Amino acid sequence: MKAKIFLVAIAVAVLVALPWLVSTPLLNAAVQMLIAALFAMAFSFLCGRAGMLSFGHAAYFGIGAFAAVHAMNAFGGAGLLPTPLLPLVGAGTGLLGGLIAGYFATKRTGVYFAMITLALAELLHALAPHLKGTFGGEAGISSFRMPAWGFTFGSVTEVYFLTLAWVLLCIGLLWLLGLTPLGRLALGLRENGHRLRFLGYNVHALSTLVFAVSAMFAGVAGALQSLNIEAANYVVLEAHVSTSVVLNSFIGGVRVFLGPAIGGAAMTFFGYITADLTRVWLLYQGIIFVLVMMFLPRGLVGELVERFSGGERRSGGTALLDGGWRLAGFAMAAAGCVFLVEFLQRFLSTGYRATATGENWPPIELMGFDWSPGSPLTWLLPAALLAAGLWLLGAANKRAAAQQEALA
Amino acid sequence: MTFSSLVRGTAASALVLMAGSAAAEPLKIALVETLSGPQASTGLLYRSAVQYEIGKLNEQGGFGGEEIVLAEYDNQGGPVGAADRVRAAIADGAQIILQGSSSAVAGQVTEDVRKHNLRNPGNEVLYVNLGAEAMELTGEKCHFYHFRVSPNAAIRVGTLVEGMREADALGERVYAMNQNYSWGVDVQENTKAAAEEMGFEVVEETLHDVNKIQDFAPYVARIQAAHADTVITGNWSNDLLLLMKAASSAGLEARFGTAFLDQPGNVGNAGAVAEGHFVSTPFNAETNPDLSGPFVEDYKAATGHYPSYVEPAAAFGIRLLGEALGQVEPTEAGVDVTALAQALETVSIETPMGELSIRPEDHQAVLPMVVQTVSRDAVYKADDTEFGFKPVKLISAEDAAAPVQDSCEMQRPG
Amino acid sequence: MDQLVFALLNGTIYGLLLFMVSAGLTLIFGMMGVLNFAHASFYMLGAYFAYTLEPLTGFWAAILLSPLLVTGIGVLVEKFILRRVHAFGHAHELLVTFGLSVVIAELIKMGYGNFPVDYRVPPELRFAAFSISGIDYPFYRLFMGAIALVMFAAIYLLLTRTRVGIVVRSAIYRPQMVEALGHNVPLVFMGVFGVGAGLAGLAGAVAGAFYTTNPNMALELGVVVFVVVVVGGLGSMGGAMLASLLIGITNSLAVGSNLRPADLFALVGQRDWAEQIGGLMTVQLSSLAATLPFLIMLIVLVVRPSGLMGEKE
Repeated sequence: MKAKIFLVAIAVAVLVALPWLVSTPLLNAAVQMLIAALFAMAFSFLCGRAGMLSFGHAAYFGIGAFAAVHAMNAFGGAGLLPTPLLPLVGAGTGLLGGLIAGYFATKRTGVYFAMITLALAELLHALAPHLKGTFGGEAGISSFRMPAWGFTFGSVTEVYFLTLAWVLLCIGLLWLLGLTPLGRLALGLRENGHRLRFLGYNVHALSTLVFAVSAMFAGVAGALQSLNIEAANYVVLEAHVSTSVVLNSFIGGVRVFLGPAIGGAAMTFFGYITADLTRVWLLYQGIIFVLVMMFLPRGLVGELVERFSGGERRSGGTALLDGGWRLAGFAMAAAGCVFLVEFLQRFLSTGYRATATGENWPPIELMGFDWSPGSPLTWLLPAALLAAGLWLLGAANKRAAAQQEALA
Repeated sequence: MTFSSLVRGTAASALVLMAGSAAAEPLKIALVETLSGPQASTGLLYRSAVQYEIGKLNEQGGFGGEEIVLAEYDNQGGPVGAADRVRAAIADGAQIILQGSSSAVAGQVTEDVRKHNLRNPGNEVLYVNLGAEAMELTGEKCHFYHFRVSPNAAIRVGTLVEGMREADALGERVYAMNQNYSWGVDVQENTKAAAEEMGFEVVEETLHDVNKIQDFAPYVARIQAAHADTVITGNWSNDLLLLMKAASSAGLEARFGTAFLDQPGNVGNAGAVAEGHFVSTPFNAETNPDLSGPFVEDYKAATGHYPSYVEPAAAFGIRLLGEALGQVEPTEAGVDVTALAQALETVSIETPMGELSIRPEDHQAVLPMVVQTVSRDAVYKADDTEFGFKPVKLISAEDAAAPVQDSCEMQRPG
Repeated sequence: MDQLVFALLNGTIYGLLLFMVSAGLTLIFGMMGVLNFAHASFYMLGAYFAYTLEPLTGFWAAILLSPLLVTGIGVLVEKFILRRVHAFGHAHELLVTFGLSVVIAELIKMGYGNFPVDYRVPPELRFAAFSISGIDYPFYRLFMGAIALVMFAAIYLLLTRTRVGIVVRSAIYRPQMVEALGHNVPLVFMGVFGVGAGLAGLAGAVAGAFYTTNPNMALELGVVVFVVVVVGGLGSMGGAMLASLLIGITNSLAVGSNLRPADLFALVGQRDWAEQIGGLMTVQLSSLAATLPFLIMLIVLVVRPSGLMGEKE
């Protein structure tokens, strides 16, 4: 427990010191990461804790975003709603939207629940362009962060601190919520809803409430995004916003408390870094997601927590060695895979196809070297890397399994 | 040509900090485009046009004796990513931002630039809009640091109907079929506005969902029922293809007047279905062949393909920007953006199509347009098919221009 | 009157196309309880494979071979990916198929570029079947409809009249018992998944030529197909057919009408009031056509959650 508090304290200290540690573009990315983290946490309160998989959380994120922009324009950042308190509007509208949508959606469970949330979000997304007054049409609604409380909110640093404060507050609240009866009952919903009903609880009201709380925090995340980019556009209601929060949360691990936040932040950062490096970063994202789902079903953080909390019975040394081998194998396989994908992508691009005519296949530059498509080396090298990496992974896994068995 | 497309984040901004006052900074231009995801196709075209023209500028000595640095940022297809990347670009020291595909992204970029300039007087940045054609960008949202070098809905529709009438292809009954968002609505409004002058009647107008319709047969049945001679549509990509295919398979006689028929893949996919339909664009390689020919051949030598769709307009826009850069002196930070903006209002260049300039009232490009039709006789074939775009009429910049919108109230500096 | 006939015919054919794609999806769901997000990607693969094969084998062989290839891919996906994830629960299966759909879309873009490819209906099939008051009705639409009907009949007969069908249906309800009786249930699952994917591939190969074959075609159709399956009742083949037709015909009729929600209020004499409200009240139904499927799905889910012909929740 003490170790955990210590870790969290260090993490918060690093987050607070961040503006002095990194450059402005990275700080920008950090704001996005914080918002994605909060959104994933809000989603996971519903999905991880209460076991309800929603495919339409973009709706509540969007509702919060638009409400905040309208409030920003209406109050001008002064009076009752100074700029730093704007996320409250997002929370309020998110809660309201969540109550209404949740009332219908939580009448059903499982796949049906997921489909209702999807339908609601798609309906909102399809109607939004028709309501130009509310959603601003294609160009969206623009706004301006007004100075308040002695801050101008003109610099990224100030926006970062505002976002950080809200995100930490909300994550803290979510943690506290987990300790209240509502939080415990939400767990019960996930494990066995029928039994809760027999115990005399109103399951529908309970699920609606959990849904609404989740939507409320999603609304805060939406409002923070509006504050950050000073605008809202109906594309925030698009299906890919809903699905990316699902992906992020599951990659992090929905059932460990900070898993979704770390997943959200990590994937946003991944997108930020790779989007400018490669044109096919979505492909890498998809591959990573599929691999995580197949081999680390508890998510990255969930799997780590599992390792460190007693699942491992071998001595630290051999486990570390194994981890090292696995990492090496994984790195080799990944390098081979990335090489292959990047080479193929360049090889198949229209630009290259236009220059390659007949027998003339000019070499392709990749990672500082020229590679000829005709030479076997070009294809053998990544294939060998991939094969060797996979073999190493397999061997390490086998060894670990054998050792576990020997100890058992 | 050396493009440091990977100039990113930390490294670049560290450079900015270190360099300080030692020497004049090279001019940094940021291309904030959609380079990945479903809408990447158009973004990648802008990229090749921009790379080509900046390469040309650098061959001619760059700016202030230094090479112009072009950095590319992937806005990931949406306004949120764009907002983020615009900030990153500005933090990396970019003074000029280029963007073209998607008016939604353009709406965000132009507002972000406006706000940045309000907050940072003396450190302004310039936004050169390469192809987002929504009217409001030069209307309600116009501001001094936004320049559009492409046509807009009014210019497209105005020239299109004029060219079609001249080719005797317009008829009297026109059906307006558009996508239900600002661009489609703009096209519809402008079609109605042109009706009286051009002597046709808009028999019916329909707005449909964007990129969600799979089956256009019911819409075609409506066009048929309205006995339309011509369909004017701002549809692009799949919505245009599906509409034309459905029309052709229903044996619809009506001709199509379009804004984006020249998007790569369209003619290839539609084949003979596209024959005889019209499009109005800022360029056709067959017009003024002695000037256009060298341009397209050189472009192909550099990029691997003939310039098409949005590429020529974007390329000419960068050329105009280069001309304006020639009028201003380099400063320590790179360039005085306000002076550059003022220069952009006054300069003009001769493109293979004619004169291109930007009018100071709303910063909309005044450019010649070519009305063209899909034909087997075209010299330059599209998508490796037997069809290409044959010019019908070249409309001069003056004649193509549409009036300034009343909603534009530009705040000028000083 | 002719207009109405056309609207109904168009709607029916579009509905039949939706059925072709969703048949495999509902089969897989009924069988394995997996909502396969990658299903529309199989549809897209079918179209691209057929496009690739066409120059080599001709159109007819291409639309026969391409579904077979897609079946093969479906089998591999089930054997190496889904089976592994099965133990982690349905949510994981659903999510892994979602990841796959992203990967497939990106790979297609890498291989074939971002723009539509020129996969077209062959000239010998490009003629009008008949024409009413000047409007031709393309033969190929009828052809697509016929394939869908044949597909429906074949699946129905296979499931109800053959030994294989009996094993498959019983494996849905009592997999352990079927296994105990000596049937290879994993093999049955693999087969069903492969066949389901193949059906989507066939739909893609046939429809890709008529509509467009582009890297976003899975995205465009994906959600509507879900709607069909949910509205019809998860796992019900007849329900999928009914829902497909319902959505196809509503769509077609909505497009053809100029009705606005405000006009409904005219029935109670409140048109002016409704028009003053503006907003949604004055939007034409034809521009809301793509929204209707979701509205239908919502209504069905709230009123009759198991779908039109579903059996249980």
